[in-house]
Amino acid sequence: MAIENQYEYVKAKNLDEVVGLLQRFKNAVILSGGTDLVELLKTGAVHPDVVIDIKGLDFLKDIRLGNNILWIGAGVTFSELIDSEIINEHFPIIAEMSKTVASVGIRNRATMVGNICSAVPCMDSGPVLSVYKARIITDGQIGERQIPIEQWFVGNRKTALFKNEIVKGISIPVPDKKHSGCFVKLRRYSGEDLAQVNLAILAFDDYSFRITFGAVAPTPVRAMRIERLINRMKLVPELMEKAQQLVEDDIAPITDIRATKEYRLHMAKVMLERGLNAALDRLNGGGPAYGKSVI
Amino acid sequence: MDDYKFIGKSSVRVDGKVKISGSAQFIDDLDFGPNLLFAEIVESKFAHAIINSIDTSEAEKIPGVVKIVTGKDFPFRFGLYMHDRYIFAQDRVRFVGEQVAAVIARDAVTAKAAAKLVKVDYTELTPVLSVEQALGDSPFLIHPDLKDYHHVPWFFPQTNSNVAHLRKVRNGNVEEAFADSDFVLDDVYTVPRYAHCALEVHGAVGLLDHSGRLTVWTASQSPHTQRHLFAEALAPLGFQHKDVRVITSFVGGGFGGKAGVSMEILGAALATKVKGNPVKILWSRAQEFYNTYQRQGVVARLKVGVKNDGTITALEHTLYWDAGAYVEYGANVVNAAGLSATGPYRIPNIKIDSFCVYTNLPPGGPYRGFGYSEFLFGLESHINELAKKIKMDPVELRKKNAIREGDRLTYGAKMNPNGLMEAIDKVAKEIEWGKKETSSDPNKVIGKGFSLFWKAPAMPPNASSSAFLKFNEDASLNILVSGMEIGQGYLTVLAQIAAEVLSVPVEKIRVETPDTDRNPYEWQTVASHVTWGCGNAVKQAAEDAREQIFDLIERANGKKREELYLDDECVRSKVEKDFSLPLKNFIISGIQKEDGTFRGGPVIGRGMFMPEFASALSDPETSQGGHPNVHYTVGAAAVKIEIDKQTGKVKIPKVVLAVDCGKALNPDLVNGQITGGILQGIATVLYEDMRFDDKGKLINANFSDYKIPTAMDIPDEVVPIIIEVAQPDGPYGARGMGEHTMIPAAPIIANAVEDALGIRIKSMPITAEKIALAVKNRGKD
Repeated sequence: MAIENQYEYVKAKNLDEVVGLLQRFKNAVILSGGTDLVELLKTGAVHPDVVIDIKGLDFLKDIRLGNNILWIGAGVTFSELIDSEIINEHFPIIAEMSKTVASVGIRNRATMVGNICSAVPCMDSGPVLSVYKARIITDGQIGERQIPIEQWFVGNRKTALFKNEIVKGISIPVPDKKHSGCFVKLRRYSGEDLAQVNLAILAFDDYSFRITFGAVAPTPVRAMRIERLINRMKLVPELMEKAQQLVEDDIAPITDIRATKEYRLHMAKVMLERGLNAALDRLNGGGPAYGKSVI
Repeated sequence: MDDYKFIGKSSVRVDGKVKISGSAQFIDDLDFGPNLLFAEIVESKFAHAIINSIDTSEAEKIPGVVKIVTGKDFPFRFGLYMHDRYIFAQDRVRFVGEQVAAVIARDAVTAKAAAKLVKVDYTELTPVLSVEQALGDSPFLIHPDLKDYHHVPWFFPQTNSNVAHLRKVRNGNVEEAFADSDFVLDDVYTVPRYAHCALEVHGAVGLLDHSGRLTVWTASQSPHTQRHLFAEALAPLGFQHKDVRVITSFVGGGFGGKAGVSMEILGAALATKVKGNPVKILWSRAQEFYNTYQRQGVVARLKVGVKNDGTITALEHTLYWDAGAYVEYGANVVNAAGLSATGPYRIPNIKIDSFCVYTNLPPGGPYRGFGYSEFLFGLESHINELAKKIKMDPVELRKKNAIREGDRLTYGAKMNPNGLMEAIDKVAKEIEWGKKETSSDPNKVIGKGFSLFWKAPAMPPNASSSAFLKFNEDASLNILVSGMEIGQGYLTVLAQIAAEVLSVPVEKIRVETPDTDRNPYEWQTVASHVTWGCGNAVKQAAEDAREQIFDLIERANGKKREELYLDDECVRSKVEKDFSLPLKNFIISGIQKEDGTFRGGPVIGRGMFMPEFASALSDPETSQGGHPNVHYTVGAAAVKIEIDKQTGKVKIPKVVLAVDCGKALNPDLVNGQITGGILQGIATVLYEDMRFDDKGKLINANFSDYKIPTAMDIPDEVVPIIIEVAQPDGPYGARGMGEHTMIPAAPIIANAVEDALGIRIKSMPITAEKIALAVKNRGKD
């Protein structure tokens, strides 16, 4: 399909050049993985003056762990996350989530930073970054900013990023307690699909939890009511049932082409129960292997 | 029993190397040089509207635009079975996405940009988006001139209505039979529209040269039918058939979607406006969904009576087909389904009404299964429900009523030889029918479903095939035919047939895709008829060549022809053991006599096949008389599924399908068809679903939201079973089986869901969501 748009293309050599271009052009877009952008260019949904390609900036490819902080650079693809020893050893939920993103071909190009910059409600990275309390590191004319994940998503496809800023990477503090987790994604089949509902759970050894749903509202939803109900409690069936009832208070799914509101609500409850059980089992050294779907 | 050297062997595909090596060229690979122009169409944004005016002035100003064409340029109606469509919309548009105009430009980007500048002024009309709406009281007529449309004699349009064709079948007395039945079950089943989803999109390149020669390159299942329709549609411009040439390269999947003529007419028509320049039009994936053919949706009301002993007494089947804006091909799907809507059962009293209903949705048309998948969903679901009512095993009920050789078909002719009983027994054994299974996971239940299936080729009674076969110096062969290789392996099977007759190995035979100038006539590669029809033509061509060889040996060597036979690329004699004359010694050059002169010359075989017993003439009120279907292919299938009651997700540990293909000319290819067909069928049950908004726009014209399964979604085990009860008039006993393999997918899954959960789902698709919500809401109403 032909791209009708006419625009400048710049392959950036350093970050200063990117920041300068973002300042100079009113309608600049960043090209990294391009898996969203190229489609938008083809359909004419975006009309940039300049496309700034950052694939040549090697320092954005870093996955680093130091001082109990994980750094994921803006150029890191989902396939690189899946293959990373650091991720698999310390953040297996990120690997578990990454394996559910699209297909191998897309994962080889698409980046996690691109995923949260597109900020489509059904993205898979949002809920996981939410439970890890990630911070998004940006740069631009006004200098570096660190934006907490809960302030990052501001609406459907809208983020806290200014027009003339670029995301350099994501920093994630290593939780200071022993923990496990689970990422659950509801999709229409086992092949590549956008989430109908997704869910990330962190379970800590003091029996506290962090729970975030995705694709059930314009932005990821931290299930605070559910967390408050079950934190430091033994998850007996009665409590699980109460937690499931609270799902309807915590999330507000819609009916669209991928699912009805009724199915999304129903499945959010099923996913909560199975996700919590899997996370707790993993905490105790059992449970399904990371990457094995619980639904 | 069979002493064949090449038939029944799994020969390696003759088109394997060319495809594996990347040498195979598809429409978008062909190079047309620097003068190639590109066309982009202007699409209707309304499902139903009057076109007031078209303003092309802004678009014409764009540099690089060569020509803009609208409906005024081609005021011609055309179509395969009914002339009800136009090259471009005339005074009104009838579906969202219909072509209203086209911009031809020097490059694709310019064409696309300029097309956006063409301004069309419409007056919007109320769109008719369902069969209920189309058939309601005083409906808006989508084709007010229907009564004037030319159509084949076996269609019966209903004047002043949206019914383009009504196929009625009547036999016996259903009312009396229902009254005599111990149980009568009445229900409604619905099936939505589906898309073919071939990997390759439609495309066409047309060139009208300065001598008046029109050549069109297409991705097609029907090169000769396309040539015929191009010549017919453009006849007002002075074209004769000899002036029109269609060249078809390899095709990246057809499934019926590339049969007949859909968008390819644009390649032919636009070429006439830019003489001397080739012009290319290639569909986007979205256009592939909404402006080719779609599988038609159907609402089926079904009433069946049964005796307590399991005898089916009567069937009343009323099918309302959502055939879309133009039905020139789709009406024949409606016709075919109507003639066969009893399924493979012996039912003495029948009343079938199959309505072809115009709607303002994209044109319906041929899709693998040709209407049979659609009605079989309801029918085979119904058979299970009947079995439950009379407390009989559903496979026993099927066996009791299954059609046998010599039984009366709906229209009065006799059923052909078939192995339906053998198929039922083998499938039941393989799926361990009757053995209940339980899952160790309390959330999961296991169910099994069973279904029979049948299908006949739906063709005009005189649909024919022909073949040329020519020898080369080394006794290798070129076979010229015009059927299409659409992945099924047809070229390979034809080579095997010629190999068997002529004793030339398959590796020495080349069969290629057609050019209508060079290759002899073939009706179309549809209806699962081409191995049967074209196979017969090739067999006859090979026999023709063999007889010429024997003639020559008789004449030049003085041997008696009845003593001669071909073996190992040599002519041999049954009486003279030492006589062995290699074909390559004479097949082109002839046989030299003692005086130095030669006898013989290049051997060229010719073959033709037309089913001369077929007839579409019958009583329009009853369909009695005539012989519209040449034969039926039958079979049985079963599945074992595991359902997660909470999520509704279905996993398939095993699926089994047995088909009576008469003779498996190439068992690997038959197994390939079974596997591919059942997977395609399962996709329509579990995942695929076309969704239109309330204005008639298709909202999932993409693979993000129209899901076809990936390698991760296939069943754990697919067991193909080949049954071989010979078709007397088929090449080596073969009959078609390609389409049939997807037909039973919906009922086997619906019946397995019912077996596992006790829930009968009567509308397709049967998605995880539908199952989960049915379980959740069970007992609420």
